[in-house]
Amino acid sequence: MISPAITSTRPRAAWTAALPVIAAGALIAYGLTSSGYIATVLGFAAIYGVFCTGLNFFMGYTGQASFGQNAFAALGGYGSAILTDRLGLEPVLAILASMSIAGIVALVVGYPTLRLRGHYLAMATFALGLITYEITIEWTSLTHGYMGYSGIPPLGLFGYELANEKQQLVALVVIALFGVWISNRLRNSRFGRALRAIAGSEAAAAALGINVARYKLAAFVIAALYASVAGSLFAHFIGFISPEVFGTAMVVLSFTMLYLGGIGTTWGPLVGALIASLIPEVLRSTLPGGLKEGQDIVYCAILILILIFVPKGLSSLGSLWQARRSAVREG
Amino acid sequence: MRLRVALAVSAAMFTIHAASAQEPIRIGSSVGLTGYSAATDRAWRDSLELAAEKLNAAGGLLGRKVEFVFEDNRSEPQEAVVGYRKMIANDKVVAVDSGCVSAGNAAAASSLVRAKVPMILCSILPPRPEEQKWAFSFLPPPRFESETRFRYLRDHTTIRKVGILHDPTPYAMMMRDLGIKVAQEFGIEVVTTESYKQDDADMSVQIGRINSAGAGAIVKMGQGGSTVTAAKNVKQLGLDKMLLMASLDDGVLFTQAGEILGEQFLFVAPGVQIPASIPAGPAREAADEFLNTWRAKFGDRDPNAGARAWDSFSVFARAVKEANSTDGEAVRSAMEKMSGVQGAVAKYNFSPDQHVGITENPFVLGVVRKGKFEVKRSGV
Repeated sequence: MISPAITSTRPRAAWTAALPVIAAGALIAYGLTSSGYIATVLGFAAIYGVFCTGLNFFMGYTGQASFGQNAFAALGGYGSAILTDRLGLEPVLAILASMSIAGIVALVVGYPTLRLRGHYLAMATFALGLITYEITIEWTSLTHGYMGYSGIPPLGLFGYELANEKQQLVALVVIALFGVWISNRLRNSRFGRALRAIAGSEAAAAALGINVARYKLAAFVIAALYASVAGSLFAHFIGFISPEVFGTAMVVLSFTMLYLGGIGTTWGPLVGALIASLIPEVLRSTLPGGLKEGQDIVYCAILILILIFVPKGLSSLGSLWQARRSAVREG
Repeated sequence: MRLRVALAVSAAMFTIHAASAQEPIRIGSSVGLTGYSAATDRAWRDSLELAAEKLNAAGGLLGRKVEFVFEDNRSEPQEAVVGYRKMIANDKVVAVDSGCVSAGNAAAASSLVRAKVPMILCSILPPRPEEQKWAFSFLPPPRFESETRFRYLRDHTTIRKVGILHDPTPYAMMMRDLGIKVAQEFGIEVVTTESYKQDDADMSVQIGRINSAGAGAIVKMGQGGSTVTAAKNVKQLGLDKMLLMASLDDGVLFTQAGEILGEQFLFVAPGVQIPASIPAGPAREAADEFLNTWRAKFGDRDPNAGARAWDSFSVFARAVKEANSTDGEAVRSAMEKMSGVQGAVAKYNFSPDQHVGITENPFVLGVVRKGKFEVKRSGV
């Protein structure tokens, strides 16, 4: 079912739209004034925010299924690692070069793959992720296989490096917000409206003169570019990558974040990434020793409860509350 | 008036000093309580808790209690990084004594080096030299496992062709590459290498290929339930002469595989897993000290990983006493002087150039007879 958030043209109240931004801002301020551990957790959230914002183009705005975006994150991560380590490229240039490679691969792979629909498309994209995962394991001379790639320099430009987690967190948040800004601009453009039309009905969109295949391919490539950036950021943030980082767990986690925050919404992916990253850490810090073994159960229970009571995602909380107030007034 | 102020300041300082003296020494531990490393790392955690309990009952370390902070990394590098950074920033651990998730330990190594936190590891050392300086591995070098198996084949059998069956973990990949080289030294040819995934429910295809390549033994490199799967497949394929030689693992799996294949199934084991194989002397005493404590709490649970964790903490505690401090640099430096320390698994010989403590082969080749482990001394 397509969420009304994707196809609706009804403007949202300014304050409800600002709510997630304020919440994200407060959490980031908390990260900057807390320990390196909190900064790390929020840094990961920002990276996943970028990844999910990209995925949202394809799954949210366009209403397609992709289980293989981790492949492009791997391209970004390994691209950055290899280009900075072996060719001595600046991290920012390595990120841009990796994006180009990921974009070309997405174009080449997407052209035949996106002719498929529904479950077939989902399976094809899943296979893409698995193939990339196998390559990162088996091509040891390039990727170091399961041993992982270490010694990747932190983010920086012209020899200046962001040495600690907090400096990197600022950079990651700026990049994540920039990603959301682009997403918002595109969502409300002619291009974005075409994507949303495809999400509503491919046949109807085609009848309106939209080149469905081309727009789907464009959304797929944009999602791949975002995923590549996320993979590169991960590599520079941690300084180490291995195939497990870009495995199936990444796909599952990003889906959780996307649905938790609100698929098809502009801020949903970032909000979902923040919440899904913070819940396990809150549990880690608050659950007493004996209950720590059940941390995953509590985490899953919280996710299920959120999805039951806020099915449109956490970024829709404000509008949900507003709708109830209106209903009470009218009633 | 001045005297009163001086007395008040002295009293305040004494109170602060007394409080800090009571503060426990916190040691972090990143363990994979779920995921592929769960079996080993759960034993690692339990043994560390046991060792800390015993030390605390005897008065603690430098007059302070020892407290472990365990963080589950789910056998995932990203989780390990978050857990490590929590332990460094929030829990203020003075050192880490972590489990066998080598990718997780490697991913967090740079943060630990920056924080000057010594790493005591179940896994292999992290890859970069500046990180290795702060890391101390309690894993027997992979070469020893291969040597034990190939020496047996050379000295007690006519088998000169083997196939390697491995999983894609860093340790198994390293073992595979090393195994090919070590085999040559023993006059044995590796005719094929086949890989499997840890959760594969069937390996008939890989085992069939090894058999058709002319191998007389399967040298398996990788841990977990896959050993039992491989044993079942060897039996199902009717390969009555094929030996299955497993690597270091939990004894429960050895028992199951041994029940399926009998004397066709052989495994590498440290002496502590087959205590009767250890001659009387300091090595036997150290093994008995651990086994008595372990069995009192865990009964007949396999002691393999637990024994190494016990040793890792014993050596660390000795280094802290030697340094008379919990300062990272002082402990790191003292760890490099821990040479000739007898543990339950092996004698540990660390030095500034040697950060892998086990330097002498501690393994024997075991076989399951009537549900008990024995040393395999003669050929089939």
